[in-house]
Amino acid sequence: MIQLFHVTKYFDGRVALTDISLRIEKGECVLLTGPSGAGKTTLLKLIFGSVPPDDGQILVQNRNIARLRRTDIPYHRRTMGFVLQDFKLLPHRTVFENVALPLIIRGLSVFESRRKVAEALRAVGMDHKQTTRASVLSAGEQQRVCIARAIVNSPIILLADEPTGNLDPQLTMEIADLFKSINAKGTTILMATHNRQVVDRMNGRILRLECGHLMADQGVYA
Amino acid sequence: MRRVWYFIREAIISIRTHRTGTLIGILTTAFTLTSFGVFLLLYHNVNNLLDRIQHNIQIIVYPKEGLEPAKLDEMKQFLKSNQIVESLIFISKQQALEDFKKQFPNEIHLLEGLPDNPFPSSFILTLTSSTPSTDVTAHLMNRLHDHQDIERVKYNRDWIERLTLIVTYLQWGALIIGGILATASMAIIANTVQLAFYTRQEEMEILRLIGATRLFISIPYLIEGALLGALGGGLAIGFLRSGFAVFKHRIESLSVIGGFSSAFEFFPVPFSLTLLVGGIVLGCMGTLATMLGWMKLR
Ligand SMILES: Nc1ncnc2c1ncn2[C@@H]1O[C@H](COP(=O)(O)OP(=O)(O)OP(=O)(O)O)[C@@H](O)[C@H]1O
Ligand SMILES: [Mg+2]
Repeated sequence: MIQLFHVTKYFDGRVALTDISLRIEKGECVLLTGPSGAGKTTLLKLIFGSVPPDDGQILVQNRNIARLRRTDIPYHRRTMGFVLQDFKLLPHRTVFENVALPLIIRGLSVFESRRKVAEALRAVGMDHKQTTRASVLSAGEQQRVCIARAIVNSPIILLADEPTGNLDPQLTMEIADLFKSINAKGTTILMATHNRQVVDRMNGRILRLECGHLMADQGVYA
Repeated sequence: MRRVWYFIREAIISIRTHRTGTLIGILTTAFTLTSFGVFLLLYHNVNNLLDRIQHNIQIIVYPKEGLEPAKLDEMKQFLKSNQIVESLIFISKQQALEDFKKQFPNEIHLLEGLPDNPFPSSFILTLTSSTPSTDVTAHLMNRLHDHQDIERVKYNRDWIERLTLIVTYLQWGALIIGGILATASMAIIANTVQLAFYTRQEEMEILRLIGATRLFISIPYLIEGALLGALGGGLAIGFLRSGFAVFKHRIESLSVIGGFSSAFEFFPVPFSLTLLVGGIVLGCMGTLATMLGWMKLR
């Protein structure tokens, strides 16, 4: 599913990731941990195709991301979902409009997108707020909508960067459970987090990064 | 279909959030296109005038005084036989005098001291409208000059040449001024779109996050630019129309050249369309100029 071969990334001459090799199989739940500045976000961005590697190869579904043409990147991204710490919703649009956006981009029919949006919102428990404006939602609700938007396209991989960073412990656990249930339906998950409780709750394979090095790959210990 | 609505809505939202900028963009485009349009209008009318004159280029041939009727008839046949002469009118001395009296009734006293009819007889030749080069006309002129029974030949060629020169100047003027102004209004449209663009960075980041292509993200901005341009173009056409109406009214009220007023006309629809399309092109180019740097992002 995802394979990295000796990937190295520099920023302004300083190393952000060094010689990273790893392999993530379909349906896995992988937790990326490590101290701040270790390179977690950078690793996700490399897989997402928003920064190119300086060395090494990245294969996502047998496609070489390092060699992707710029015009192909959007299509690469449509096969994935990405959830961020700061929710990134369009504040003046309704929940429905926000979640439907990836479908509009793909040019889906009205009928199909209605059905899919409803499905995704039901999966995150937000289908009763379709017509609410995103700006009036609570933090937990906003993150749920973001997750709905990330899964509305039925992605094969769901990337998440500190998805619980802005949430209180109670909500954090709820969101962790949500990711778990999405993973249970077969979606591969790669989540960066330094929240110990999330790591424990998710009960997945742990990748630990420190100063750009992949320290330990503890395998799946479920 | 969903996408089309999405694009249009986005463009309108963008315009609504930048009303002042939008207005300035529209007005500059309108100003640019109006200035350009004034030149176009001048060019069109002078060209028209030239066309008209060229279509009734006349050569006036004055036969020598006191020529016998047989000789005159011979000359008439000679003139008529020429290929490029479309029609020919003979005006006798008597008729010329009558014409003068009719045209300038107040000036009749000028003739009083004169013993005889001072007006010469003449042939007025109208050339075929398809008369090609000046060479052919020049050749005819030479033959007329050499003719033993012809006193004098009058031909309004200088006039035409001068007018042609003016048309050329106008063409260049329109090009240069149009170029300068177009650049200016493009820059201002670019600026307007840029404002919209920067305040919506976040939104564009979101779109990139969910896999929108650059084209998809830029279309609303292109629509915005095109809309600004089109509105500017439409406004310019309005300005020109009303300006022209006022101008024409003024001309008509001036007695001296009042008769000329019918010669002036507003430019035809294709020219107006050119202005409109010009506005749209300006708008799109302005947008593209803004987005060039952004396009390089991954
Ligand atoms: N666009 C960039 N330009 C320059 N340096 C960058 C850029 N992005 C990341 N870095 C640097 O790369 C290193 C790794 O950053 P990264 O964001 O991947 O860390 P992280 O593990 O996600 O940290 P955190 O837990 O705080 O989010 C840091 O030293 C950071 O300063
Ligand atoms: Mg990070």
